[in-house]
Amino acid sequence: MHQVEIATTQETLLDSPEMVLNMGPQHPSTHGVLRVVLRLDGETVIDLDCDIGYLHRGMEKIAENRMYTMIAPYWDRLDYIAAVSNGLVWVETVEQMMGLPVPPRAHYLRTILTELNRIASHLLWLATHALDIGAITVLLWALREREEILKIFERQFGARLTCHAWRVGGMPNDAYDDFDKDVRQFANNFPKRIDEYETVLSENRIWLSRTVGIGVISGPEAIAIGLSGPALRGSGVAWDVRKSRPYAAYADMDFDVPLGENGDTYDRYLVRLEEMRQSRRIVVQALDNLPDGPVNAKLPKVVKPPVGDYYHSIEGPKGEIGCYLVSDGSAQPYRVRVRPPSFVNLQALKQMCVGHLVADVVAIIGTLDIVLGEIDR
Amino acid sequence: MSLVTTPKPTWSQKLKRFFMIDLIKGLGLTLKYNLGAITDKDAVAGKGIYTEQYPKVRPDVAPRFHGAPRLNMDPETHDTLCIACNLCALACPEDCIDVIAMDVEIIVAGKQRRKKVLDEFIFDTSRCMFCALCQEACPTSCLELTQDFELATYSRAGFVWNREMLEQGRETVKYTS
Amino acid sequence: MLLLGPINILNDLLLRFFSQETINYFLWPLIQIGLVVTLVALWVAYATYLERKISAFIQARLGPMRVGPYGLLQPIADGIKLLVKEDFIPENADRWIFFFAPYIAVASAFIVFSVVPFGPDWATIADVNIGLLLVLAVSSVGVLALILAGWSSNSKYALLGGLRSSAQMVSYEVAMGLSLIGALMFARTLSLSGIIGAQGSDSIWYVLYQPAGFLLFLISGIAENNRAPFDLPEAESELVAGFHTEYSGMRWSLFFMAEYAAMVVVSAVAATVYLGGWYFPFVYRLEAAGHHNLYVIVSLLVFLVKVSIILYIYFWLRWTLPRFRYDQLMDIGWKWLIPSALINIALSAIAIFTVQALNGRRGMKTIEALDRGLNLTAQGKAIVIVFGVAGLFITAFLMSRINWRSRDFNMKTQRRNIRLVNLPKGKPAVSVSEV
Repeated sequence: MHQVEIATTQETLLDSPEMVLNMGPQHPSTHGVLRVVLRLDGETVIDLDCDIGYLHRGMEKIAENRMYTMIAPYWDRLDYIAAVSNGLVWVETVEQMMGLPVPPRAHYLRTILTELNRIASHLLWLATHALDIGAITVLLWALREREEILKIFERQFGARLTCHAWRVGGMPNDAYDDFDKDVRQFANNFPKRIDEYETVLSENRIWLSRTVGIGVISGPEAIAIGLSGPALRGSGVAWDVRKSRPYAAYADMDFDVPLGENGDTYDRYLVRLEEMRQSRRIVVQALDNLPDGPVNAKLPKVVKPPVGDYYHSIEGPKGEIGCYLVSDGSAQPYRVRVRPPSFVNLQALKQMCVGHLVADVVAIIGTLDIVLGEIDR
Repeated sequence: MSLVTTPKPTWSQKLKRFFMIDLIKGLGLTLKYNLGAITDKDAVAGKGIYTEQYPKVRPDVAPRFHGAPRLNMDPETHDTLCIACNLCALACPEDCIDVIAMDVEIIVAGKQRRKKVLDEFIFDTSRCMFCALCQEACPTSCLELTQDFELATYSRAGFVWNREMLEQGRETVKYTS
Repeated sequence: MLLLGPINILNDLLLRFFSQETINYFLWPLIQIGLVVTLVALWVAYATYLERKISAFIQARLGPMRVGPYGLLQPIADGIKLLVKEDFIPENADRWIFFFAPYIAVASAFIVFSVVPFGPDWATIADVNIGLLLVLAVSSVGVLALILAGWSSNSKYALLGGLRSSAQMVSYEVAMGLSLIGALMFARTLSLSGIIGAQGSDSIWYVLYQPAGFLLFLISGIAENNRAPFDLPEAESELVAGFHTEYSGMRWSLFFMAEYAAMVVVSAVAATVYLGGWYFPFVYRLEAAGHHNLYVIVSLLVFLVKVSIILYIYFWLRWTLPRFRYDQLMDIGWKWLIPSALINIALSAIAIFTVQALNGRRGMKTIEALDRGLNLTAQGKAIVIVFGVAGLFITAFLMSRINWRSRDFNMKTQRRNIRLVNLPKGKPAVSVSEV
C-alpha cells in the first residue's frame, strides 16, 4: 500500500493552522472502503489524497486461471450495483472476438435488462447522494423503486444483485412468463416516482445551495482526466458509447442524450435523472419491438477465442466499462484488463474538491457515483 | 465560484421563492406519504407501506432463484440421479464442489461390468457464489439450486454440506412470529 | 377530589416523621421532581418511538413492529439494551470530562422541566417569576456538554462536531432570545404561568399577534437543538456522528435523551408562549362547574397535544429537507434570523404604540386593562393581528431584499434545465464546441 503523501509529521502540523482528517475507510459516506486523506484549513479542503485498494480481490488475475465461461460471475462483483451491465461487457467481448452471431431476441432482452439495471444503479446513486446531502427520505423512496427492478431480476436471472445474467452466446433462459407485464408495470409507474424525487429535491433551495457550483469541472478538463458517463455529460461533452459504438440492440433504439452545461453537482444530478427517463423510454421501445426466436447462439463445445487481443466497451451506468482481452488460443484468457469507470472518475475528486468544505467533499464523492468493488477490482 | 452560469429568475419564480413554494411542495409530499401510510391497509401496494415483514410473512421467492443446493432423487425409486460425472465440479469457478465416486461391480446382461456411482458429494456453500453454472452443467438435473435462502449457520463447518444434507435438506429454524 | 385522596393519605403518613414545613418545602417538591423526571424520561423515550414511526410512514416503511404490539415496547427494549452495553472509553480520551459530559447535557435539558407549566394549579411544579430567562439560561449550558464531549473524545470528528455545535448554538441562542421579546411585550412578564395567564385573560394566542416571532422561535429552536435541517454537529454523512462519535452504551443514550428532552423543552416553550400553553377555549367551564381536578387534567392534555403538534413539525422537517452546509447555517443565523428578530421587535413596539395611541381617540377603545399583560379589546386585537401578519411579509420582504445575493437561503438560484441531444449513431465522440 502506497504511502499517503499528505500525512505530514506532527511537528510541521503543530506550527500550521492545518489539520489532517482521515476520512474512511470506515466512514458512512465514502461509499464503501474509500480512504480520503484531507488536509484542512478550518473546514476548507486545501489538499486531498485518495487511498484505494481495501477491496482488492485480484479479479484480473483470477480471470487468467478460469475458463471463459467461468469468468462472467466475477464481472458481476466489480460494480455490484450494475452487475448486469458488467456481465454484458464480458460476454460481448468474447462473442465479438469469436464472431458468434447472437440472436436478435437476446440482443433486445439484453438491452431491456441493462437499461433496467442502469435505472437501478442511478436510483441507488440518487438514494446515497441524497442521503449524503441529508435528504434521508429520498433514500427509502428510491430503494423502493429499485426493489421493483431487483424483483424482475430475481424472476429473470435467479438472483437479485450479482445476477450472473448472461452466458457467452446469449442468455441462460428466455424471458419468464410475466416479464412483459412486470416491466411494463414498472415503466408505467416510474415517471411519477421521478417526479416525486424532483418535487422534494430539484427546486428545493437547500438542495440547490448544496449542489449548484459544487465540484465544477469543465468539459476539456473532464476529457483530459478521462471521465466518462454522466460525470462527463454533466460537463456538456456529448459522448455516449450507446450512440457512438452501438452494441446490443441500441442501434435500433431512439433516445436522447442529456447534457449539462456547467459541470457542477447539480448538472450531474439532472443528467442522471433525465437518463433514467431515457432508459425507461428505451425499455418500452425494446419491449414493443421484442422479436421472437431463440436466445442462444450455437456454441462450440469449448469457448476458445482466436489468438489475438480485443477491446470492447459499453456504456455502463457509471461510465464506459471496457474489457481488454488477450487470448493465446487456449480455453483460458491470457490477460483480462478491466477499464473501470469509477476508477477513472475518481481521479477528478481532487480537482473538484479543493477549495470546498468537508461537507462538499461528501457531496462530490456522491456525485461521482463510485463503487469501490470496481475501483479496487 | 463564478464558474456557474445561473439564469436570471423570472417574476413568477421570484414570487415562488418568496413564498417558499419549493419547501412547501416537498413538505406536502411527505405529509401525503405520512397520511397515506396511516390510512393504507394494503401492504406492498406501491403507494402505502412497502415493508415486507420477513420472519412473520415468508417472502415469495422466484422459481428461478439460486439458493441452497440440493441433490435430486428419482421420485419413484429414491435413488440419486447423480451419475458422478464430475461435470459440476469442472464447471464451478470457485472449486467448491467435490464429487467422490466409487466403483461398484454390476452385472449387465450376464457380463460383469464396473460402474461409477456416487459415494459422497461435498458442496462448500461458504465459497459458492450461486452463479448456477453447476446447475446448468448437470446432465441429469440432479444438482439444483433451490428457493431456500436461509443459509446461515453458527460455524464455518456448517457451511460445508455433505451428501446427506444435500439430499435430505438441512434443518433450519423457521420463525413464525 | 377523588384524585386528592391518596395524596392526603400520603401527607398524613409523612406527618408522623416530619414537620409540615419539611413536607411542604422539601418532600413534596422531591416527590414532584421524581414524578416529573420519570414521566419526562418516559415521554422522551416515546418521542423516539414516535419519530421512528413517523419517519417510517413518510418513507413508506412500517418502523418498529417486533417488540410488543406495533412495536410499542421498543423504547423500553432499547433502553435495556443501552443500559447493558459496554461503556467504552477511548484510550487517550480525557477520562473525567468524557465521563461527565453526558450528565451535563442531560441535567441541563431536564432542569428546564421544573419551570415548564404543564397545567394549572398542581400541574405546575415551580412558578418562577423569571421562568423564561431560566429556560434560556439553563438550556444554553447544554452547549458546554457538547464542547466537552467533543474535546475529550480525542477524535477529530468529535472535535469538529463539538466546535460546530458550540458555534451554532451560541449564534442561534441570540436569535432565539430576541424572537421571544415581541411576545414578552404583550405578556409583560417572564413567568411562564404568567404568560399563559396573560393569553388566557385576553382570550388569544400570541401566535396571532406574533406570527413572525413564532416562526423565528421555531426555526432557531430547531437549530438550537441540532435537529435537521440544521443537524450539522452530528451530520452523519460528514462527521460520522459528530460530538458523540466515540460514545457508546448508556452514555450515548444520555446524549440522545438530552437531545429529545431539549426538543420537548423548546416545543413546550413555543406552546406556552405562542400557543397559549394549557389554555384552551371553554375548558375553564369545567373549573366553573366545580370539577377542579378534571379541569387540571384536561388542561394537561391540551398542553400535551400542543407540544406534540410542534414535535411533529420537528419530525416532519427532519425527514423532508436536506441538510444545510456549515457556512450556510451560520449565514442564516446571522444574516437572516437575527435581523428578522430585530425587525420583529421594532414592529411589535410600533404595534403596541399604535394601539396605545389609538386608545381613547375618536371614541375608540383598544385597551381593556394592563394588569395581567396587555389586555386588548376586539378592535385592539384586530389592529395587532393586522400588524403581525403584515409584519411577516414586511420582514420577509426586507430580508430578501437585503440578502438577495446570498447563497445560503438561496433566493436566486433556480432550477436549471438540461439539453437533450439526439446524437448521430456510430459517429466518434463529438467535442464540446460542436454540439
